[in-house]
Amino acid sequence: MTQHTLPHSEAFRAGKSLGIDHLKLGVWLFLASEVMFFGGLIAAFLHYKVNAPSSQAGLLSVPLVGANTFILLTSSFTVVQGLAAIRRGSRDGLVRYLSITILLGAIFLAGQAYEFSSLYRDGVTLQSSVFGSSFFTLTGFHGMHVFIGILWAGSTLLRAARGRYSKEDYAGVEVFGLYWHFVDIVWIVLFTIIYLV
Amino acid sequence: MNLRRIVTLVVLAVVLIGLGVLVASTVNLMPEEASVQAQMVDRLFRLLMGIATVIFVAVEGALVYAVVRFRRRAGDDTDGPAVHGSTTLEAVWTAIPALIVIVIAFVSFRVLAASAVREAEPVVVEVVGRQFTWEFRYPEADVTSTELHLPVDRQVRFEITSDDVIHSLWIPEFRIKQDATPGRVAEMVITPTRLGRFPIRCAELCGAAHAAMTAEVVVESGEEFAAWLEGQRGAGLPVSPGDLGRRLFSQYGCNACHTLADAVAAGVVGPSLDGIGAAAGSFVPGLDARAYLEQSILDPEAFVVEGFPSGVMPPNFGDRLTGEELQALVDYLLSQ
Amino acid sequence: MSSEPLAAPRPNWRRYLTWNTDHKVIGVQYIVTTFLFFLLGGVLAVLVRAELIRPGQDLVNGEEFNRLFTNHGSLMIFLWIIPVLAGFGNYLMPLMIGAQDMAFPRLNAVSYWIIPPAGFLMISSFFVGAADTGWTAYVPLSISAPDGQTLWALSVALLGVSSILGGINFITTAITMRTEGLTFDRLPLFVWGMLATSILMVVATPVLSAGLVLVALDRLVGTHFFTVAVGGDPILWQNLFWFYSHPAVYIMVLPAMGIVSEIFPVFSRKPIFGYKAIAASSMAIAVLGLLVWAHHMFSSGMDPRLRIPYMITSMIIAVPTGVKIFSWLGTIWDGKIRFNTPMLFALGFISMFLIGGITGIFLASIPVDLHVTDTYFVVAHLHFVLFGGSVSAVYAGLYYWFPKITGRMFDERLGRAHFWMNFIGTNLAYLPMFLAGLLGMPRRVADYAPEFTTLNVLASIGAFLLATSTLPFLYNAIVSWATGPRAEANPWRARTLEWQTDSPPPPNNFPVSPRVTGGPYDYGEQAPAKPLTPAPAAGK
Repeated sequence: MTQHTLPHSEAFRAGKSLGIDHLKLGVWLFLASEVMFFGGLIAAFLHYKVNAPSSQAGLLSVPLVGANTFILLTSSFTVVQGLAAIRRGSRDGLVRYLSITILLGAIFLAGQAYEFSSLYRDGVTLQSSVFGSSFFTLTGFHGMHVFIGILWAGSTLLRAARGRYSKEDYAGVEVFGLYWHFVDIVWIVLFTIIYLV
Repeated sequence: MNLRRIVTLVVLAVVLIGLGVLVASTVNLMPEEASVQAQMVDRLFRLLMGIATVIFVAVEGALVYAVVRFRRRAGDDTDGPAVHGSTTLEAVWTAIPALIVIVIAFVSFRVLAASAVREAEPVVVEVVGRQFTWEFRYPEADVTSTELHLPVDRQVRFEITSDDVIHSLWIPEFRIKQDATPGRVAEMVITPTRLGRFPIRCAELCGAAHAAMTAEVVVESGEEFAAWLEGQRGAGLPVSPGDLGRRLFSQYGCNACHTLADAVAAGVVGPSLDGIGAAAGSFVPGLDARAYLEQSILDPEAFVVEGFPSGVMPPNFGDRLTGEELQALVDYLLSQ
Repeated sequence: MSSEPLAAPRPNWRRYLTWNTDHKVIGVQYIVTTFLFFLLGGVLAVLVRAELIRPGQDLVNGEEFNRLFTNHGSLMIFLWIIPVLAGFGNYLMPLMIGAQDMAFPRLNAVSYWIIPPAGFLMISSFFVGAADTGWTAYVPLSISAPDGQTLWALSVALLGVSSILGGINFITTAITMRTEGLTFDRLPLFVWGMLATSILMVVATPVLSAGLVLVALDRLVGTHFFTVAVGGDPILWQNLFWFYSHPAVYIMVLPAMGIVSEIFPVFSRKPIFGYKAIAASSMAIAVLGLLVWAHHMFSSGMDPRLRIPYMITSMIIAVPTGVKIFSWLGTIWDGKIRFNTPMLFALGFISMFLIGGITGIFLASIPVDLHVTDTYFVVAHLHFVLFGGSVSAVYAGLYYWFPKITGRMFDERLGRAHFWMNFIGTNLAYLPMFLAGLLGMPRRVADYAPEFTTLNVLASIGAFLLATSTLPFLYNAIVSWATGPRAEANPWRARTLEWQTDSPPPPNNFPVSPRVTGGPYDYGEQAPAKPLTPAPAAGK
């Protein structure tokens, strides 16, 4: 296995004239692509919501999922708190808030699972109608992203516990935070167009 | 820019534009103009050809000229002049193309609008594309046919859809095509202006026999058209069983894929049916000719002839043919 | 700055078969792998043209024919042109901006290593009933297509991921890793082209991924996204597909235009004419390119009034394209033109891309489009821009950077032979197709009416000539790489940074980080070839 002879040394960072860190820029671009992916699925959902409306949409539970939304929003807040903690140099604070975030994320997924199973019991499935197909696909992919986020949170938590991050070096936490907020914002959009409008 | 340069440029411009006008007025790359829309589209096309000629000759000409005039002379290793650009020139060659495309867009818009003008009381033809035939229905006369007949000089409004996958109805001599999409009806208006027979082609990949999905449009006088409609309507009472069978053979699109001289069919997607009446009893032991033919129509996958593709012949004739129609079709084939 | 002659580099073939994060290795891996897919796609094309040299179905039946052109198009687009240009970007971008490597070297390797398995998937689809619905895979036809269609969708989705990751890498690299003094107004135009392309890769590709997910779910799980009977809409697929696939054609051409922008100044010994305009036009084409997609759907049954704005944007995009062509002309005008093989292919690019571009205006005009869409007119147009255009530029780039990558020089006579066979073959193959389309020949047909025979014979002869033209290139590339004469660091006396280091470059590209003090196209200065980077200050 051939390796580079030199790592990214500061000498080659000379062109940072725009003052942008490469890791963050990379994640922002990745999130942009994710926005477009969800955009495609959202376009499909909205197209059918308008052009092939289904009575099955009436079986959605706004209160349950509304509460779930609040939980996910709270988890974004805890991520912010965790980041503030490590900025202060508090490793324990970061660990604590990451743990709560994971818990809240897991509760969100459990809530989604409950919503999915009750819909299935009521006859709304992936195959029951165009609504079923587009609803489960859109929310399913979001759920997958939450799950991946929980795994990422877990790995960040482990690293934080081992002292990987400090007041000077917390870029990894920021990057995780960007992803988690993105997942949250996507959910706000989804909740609005699926449950509220 | 000295006078000589200006004069050269002006002369070049005049020559180029003259060439463009010449091309636009003489070159004809289109099939026969057989509709009002064709006349409009062709005029637009010729305009575009003229403009394209000017641009093409100018740019390629400049390229060839530069390549000859500015080739490096042997032994000359120096650089060329350090010219980085010219604001005036760049502004001009941005503005002029912008103007040209705006004009083209405007003219195109006008042609589009003019070609889609709806007249009162058009002939309405409902078109259904279906792997691999076209079916034309005249709702007023309650006539269905696989051959399209139209009266000359009268607008026809097509209402186009598909039963299965996306097809596209295209009559090159009329210059418009319209996709036949399942689940929606798309409209297209044409006013044929020339008598004759013109090909209809499918222009959207629709499966294995996409290339064979052809039909014909017959543009005839008003009286002939009315007579044809009358004849089709009356064809509910065929003179002889053979006539019914022959009509069904075309109506259900067998002619698209099979050859049968009596039905003037020359399809090559499936096996030829010439002489099938005598041969059908000998293909499968235990199955007489009638049984073989019936099964072959209702369940095409049962006996696929070697060398021919499976999965192409529609499997749903059982739903589409009535009992009497199936019998008439089999009777007809037995007589071939 | 190396001036002492190095020993001829011994090509270590094995290096290219392993996981390696060096962008130069990855670049070569991309280029060689994709070229193999190019050859395979070419074989399929030869089979198509062999079938079409006569009316009637002689070699293959309708089903088999559909598989041939479907996989020809898919291989060429997803496994050749898009990734080979990414390969050029990979090799050149760090060098051109004075960096050691890409911003994310391991992600870069991942982007490459997705390609062989994805290619394998697409080829293996032939053995389970291949995809046969065109590279556009319209529904509902592709929902009921054989199993290979699912493998096709998976393959394309994987290649999309590779493309997106590549785009993220290119943008981050270009923005954050430029060496000192390399401001944006000194960025080589190839890098501008890659930047514009990368924006499209990141923004447009995911929409196709979404569409492929819907198709895969309908096929595998029984969802109803495209079940017409319960409200599914085939036009939704067309919108999702073309939202990506139109920008995709700019992904396929912007880096190519960047390549020829590098070549013209060097072989005319003049600065590029209108640097800012060319850079700006690349970005303009990228943005506009996201706003034209429905011009592929003029006959689809979409709302007729909605077609008008798309006609307008499709016409407008001709303007920045024209600016580039005129600027290139301005570059060679009054220069001292040398006709080495890279320059021949670059000139061929202008000449043939022009035809493709002009006919694009015909297609943008809705009334004309309604006659010529889905006919051989479109087949001719697309091959002029993609083959006459992009592939010519790829060849130009391969010859131009051959000495840099391999450290050896190719054979000029073989290169010239290749060029003429390619130029004549392309025109012969595709010019008749314009006429065939106008006169009534639809596309994707295994058979045609006898009146189109002569045009098809000409096209097939041209295609066979094109196939043969790859032979002098392959021979040249392989033999020259192994035993060609040793090339110096800067055989073309070019000014961009990749030429200011050894051929091939050392593992860390530049022994010392370069400092840039002028533009990359400052030819014509009075002093002979003023060095781009002065002796680097100590400690930098």
